[in-house]
Amino acid sequence: MLTTKLKTNMFFLLKLEWKKLNKLTAFRIFIAFYLVLLPTLLLLGKRIPELPPPMMTNEVLFIFPTVWEWLAYVGNWLCFFFFGFLSIITITTEYSYRTMRQNIITGLSRKEYFLAKLYLLLAISTFATVYYTLCALLIGYFNTPAIYWHKVVQNAWFIPRYFLMCFGYMSFGALLGFWIKRTGIALFLYLSYIMFLESILRWGVHMQLWKHRSMHFYPMNAVEDLTPLPFTQMADEFLSSYGFSLFLSPVEAAVTTIVYSGIFLFLGYKLVQRADL
Amino acid sequence: MSILSIQGLTKRYGKITAIEHLTLEVEKGMSFGILGPNGSGKTTTLGIVLGIIHSNAGEFQWFDGQYGQGHRRHIGALLETPNFYPYLNAVENLEIIAHIKKIASPRITPLLEMVNLYQRRHSPFRTYSLGMKQRLAIAAAMVGDPEVLIFDEPTNGLDPQGIAEVRQTLKEIAGMGKTIIMASHILDEVEKVCSHVAIIKNGKLLATGTVGAIISDDMVVEVGADDPASLGELLRKHPLVRQVEEKNGHLLLYLREEVSASTINRLAFEHGIALSHLRVVKKSLESEFLAITSRES
Repeated sequence: MLTTKLKTNMFFLLKLEWKKLNKLTAFRIFIAFYLVLLPTLLLLGKRIPELPPPMMTNEVLFIFPTVWEWLAYVGNWLCFFFFGFLSIITITTEYSYRTMRQNIITGLSRKEYFLAKLYLLLAISTFATVYYTLCALLIGYFNTPAIYWHKVVQNAWFIPRYFLMCFGYMSFGALLGFWIKRTGIALFLYLSYIMFLESILRWGVHMQLWKHRSMHFYPMNAVEDLTPLPFTQMADEFLSSYGFSLFLSPVEAAVTTIVYSGIFLFLGYKLVQRADL
Repeated sequence: MSILSIQGLTKRYGKITAIEHLTLEVEKGMSFGILGPNGSGKTTTLGIVLGIIHSNAGEFQWFDGQYGQGHRRHIGALLETPNFYPYLNAVENLEIIAHIKKIASPRITPLLEMVNLYQRRHSPFRTYSLGMKQRLAIAAAMVGDPEVLIFDEPTNGLDPQGIAEVRQTLKEIAGMGKTIIMASHILDEVEKVCSHVAIIKNGKLLATGTVGAIISDDMVVEVGADDPASLGELLRKHPLVRQVEEKNGHLLLYLREEVSASTINRLAFEHGIALSHLRVVKKSLESEFLAITSRES
């Protein structure tokens, strides 16, 4: 009974977001870019048959089970750009057009307004993950000489990690959107935080770039570590010289991301509740 | 039935008090005007009862609480500027409104015809002129035929023809037995559309009641003579004259009932004063309003 009501409300709000977004040029372009670039960027690896050690050959990019890792790494960059941006834009434009205000006057409660955005993030992350899964399966299928089922599914836990990665970027973008309210400044902060502000913050706290593994537990570092660059040997070298691993373990990264996303969204919800519009 | 009940509403922005302990009651079927100069707290009040601004104290209740949290779905409102998705056209924008209000089959075409936007229904909102935007906002407020309509400065930015059209539309809506709450700084507008009025200034309620009771029906006559002092003395004594004011060298007479201009002329002539100027002014709502708002400050 309660779940039916929840489902009805979810579809009601998602449909509303769809009506708002499907004609938005930025939305169409970002989705199109993601759809095209995810397989294309990986398949560009076909043009470079000889790779430097430790990989030597490009075939690891396309065969099971490593295709999961490499495609997820490509997807990490795309989600960071396109879906993080999309998350910000869908929220900040509603402030600049004053349509959030109008939505509430028209009848949405503030909670419904927030839930609509939350469901949108979940829907886009699901869409991105389904497409990633599809691409990984297809690329693997056409490039792996001998397909064994256990090899195909060996890295299947990259699927939930990919979802969390996308959702992590988007919930961080959502918080910036609800907080900053202006598209340009929010986008700038989003980019600069992920590209270097977090590193500066990390350095400010620890006074060193690499000191202790606790410094991995920063929000965007954890999100990146969900689907990291698959250089396992490089990571091993790092481990021997610094005494701790270059990346968070997948479980640590997942838990950290869930906790931070929860905090970001909770703060976003509070901002929506409090604001005078 | 009570449509809207406001009790002791207060809103402060830092040191500035936008509205102070405001209490209002709007009953079903009223067309209720909130009248006040710019910055008097009209929009803030409407913003609070529409859920977009938080108050510091006081409370309000819609429809005696019968719709719970969903009360705004039964209200059509246009607050300040029309806000729509600029990249969507009129039909798509109204469909979003209808979706939020949970109206299964909104009658969008007649609404667009009513506000004269049917021809431009497929153009994106950003290409509309100010008047067209305002008209779309009126159509948006009427999506789903809500029980209550709220208009904040509905004729703002419209050309004279647009103003006349909007007022006509508002009167028609009031005639359909709908409850209208309208904020305006234009008295004329309130008088033409509303049955009840509340006058507010600096966030305080100065007067409330029926339009007839608040805005008195005095007739105003402007007179002038070579010797205005003795003319004033004479007229002040007359029982029909409620008040005499000096304005630009002329005298403004507020008369208790309607008298013909010749009566005044004859009265002055009988007392040996020749009028150099005599003009019947339409009863001056503007000055009445200014009188009420300046008395209290």
